[in-house]
Amino acid sequence: MASLAAALAGVLLLAVPPFLSPYAVHTLVLVLFFAYLGTAWNVLGGYAGQFSFGHAAFFGIGAYTSTLLLVRLGVSPWLGLLAGGILAAAFGCFGGYLSFRYGLRGPYFALVTLAFAEMLRLIAVNWMAIGGPMGILMPLSKTGDSLWRLQFREKLPYYYVALALVVAALALVRAIERSRLGYLLAAIRENEDASEASGVDTMRAKLVAMAVSAFLTAVGGTFYAQYFTFIDPGLVFGPSVSVEILLRPIVGGPGTLLGPLLGSVVLTPLSELTRALIRGRPGVDVMVYGALLVVVITFLPGGLVGALRRIFPRWRPRQA
Amino acid sequence: MAAPAGLSPDVPLLEVRGLTKRFGGLLAVSRVELAVEPGEVCGIIGPNGAGKTTLFHLVTGFHHPTAGEVRFDGRPITGLRPHQVCRLGIARTFQIVQPFPGLSVLDNAAVGAFTRCREVAAARATAREALDLVGLGARADQLAGTLTLSDRRRLELARALATGPRVLLLDEVMSGLTTTEVSGMIDLCLRLRERGLTILVIEHLLRAIMALSDKIVVLDHGEKIAEGTPAAVSRDPRVIEAYLGVAAGRDGR
Repeated sequence: MASLAAALAGVLLLAVPPFLSPYAVHTLVLVLFFAYLGTAWNVLGGYAGQFSFGHAAFFGIGAYTSTLLLVRLGVSPWLGLLAGGILAAAFGCFGGYLSFRYGLRGPYFALVTLAFAEMLRLIAVNWMAIGGPMGILMPLSKTGDSLWRLQFREKLPYYYVALALVVAALALVRAIERSRLGYLLAAIRENEDASEASGVDTMRAKLVAMAVSAFLTAVGGTFYAQYFTFIDPGLVFGPSVSVEILLRPIVGGPGTLLGPLLGSVVLTPLSELTRALIRGRPGVDVMVYGALLVVVITFLPGGLVGALRRIFPRWRPRQA
Repeated sequence: MAAPAGLSPDVPLLEVRGLTKRFGGLLAVSRVELAVEPGEVCGIIGPNGAGKTTLFHLVTGFHHPTAGEVRFDGRPITGLRPHQVCRLGIARTFQIVQPFPGLSVLDNAAVGAFTRCREVAAARATAREALDLVGLGARADQLAGTLTLSDRRRLELARALATGPRVLLLDEVMSGLTTTEVSGMIDLCLRLRERGLTILVIEHLLRAIMALSDKIVVLDHGEKIAEGTPAAVSRDPRVIEAYLGVAAGRDGR
């Protein structure tokens, strides 16, 4: 039954978009893009319970690394996303080690991650060799569509790339969920001291979660740069990026497989809608977000997935 | 296997030498000496604030001592992190129970089992054994947060057992339990002892500590003031004074 529904959803996701308007496809790309980023954040923020407020750091590293490699050296973004992912994972482990070493938890950890991202933003603003505050405009491929350069004139190919990213990220998270690491992260989220006492190397498990989360987020940064063909420090390192990344998993259900996807399906069109309805008044969509967050945190502590599980107890996860 | 446990083994399994912990101006633990033989059950008693739990924190790596050392099976373990101490074979429970409330009872114990199992299936099997041992087998699928206090204490014990310890440190596992539950917990501890586990137990409940312990160590203001068999310790005037205050009829200090 569930596999039948999944197969049907898969067919729809693959077959329907070619018949949609470019704007509808664009909205779907955004839904998938934010679902992907939320899934990446969820590994650290949801499963391991380490609330990062600075995932823009990884996002920006991914975006800048692949873009610079492509623009300056002509390296394919497919290799660039690997390089950016590895750099972001390394940076995450460095920052994570420092934070965890000194026992920063909860809001203190969130503040430190925010500071790390801001630090990178300021470096990018002041570093003229990588474009400084002007950012980098990606020259379009002369040959038109190029899978190797990950550049397309239409939005549809990006849709399929985003879909593949989401599917891959969900598959990875599901594998983690069922693995030894999944148990250890859940234990750390629940109670770090008790985890240590039960033989869990909490530092190591948190760093692994950090590395995975940072790598995936950086890949999202590469996708962003390729899709919008322009990056600047505020766009990829700014605090609003961090907020956008964590909003969907929080609203959808942190620490659940489908929470970020569900959060994105609800929030992303809503954000597009408010932006379209309230044109010329920047910030209103942020106010809507703020109000929504208050509502979710007050009434749905487990996010949308948590609420659905209360309504349908059969949906509770059961490990095999 | 050589001589049965308790027959004068050469090396103590757990040894504490000159252990001292200072928190600012407070000397929480002061030059404590302790040697626990394999298979022995050592009770630790003392008034509130005597340093009992701090001693456990020092042994398990949650605190690092100001001076002194802890040796396990002949090798120094001072300064190791808690999970490293646990992996060597020293497991503990907490005075205030700390299960993972959002995880199932089985998953709670499985976290401990991962200390020695790489595979999920193996860890779950080990966890199930530990749950059966403490009598929680029937509650494996329940969320840990929904258990009664008595069952949460048993669960913490199961999680500790699942790590495959040689030494078990129990911090007031009886507190807050009803009389019947206390009897059940004493039975459980006796069973663990029969399985050859070396146990250190902090307990206020004298009925329990007398029933369980081979020897008792008494702490007061961070210092060890007595050590001996339950019978000897309970007659020791310093212990009576520390524990019950100055005997009635005599003038105050």
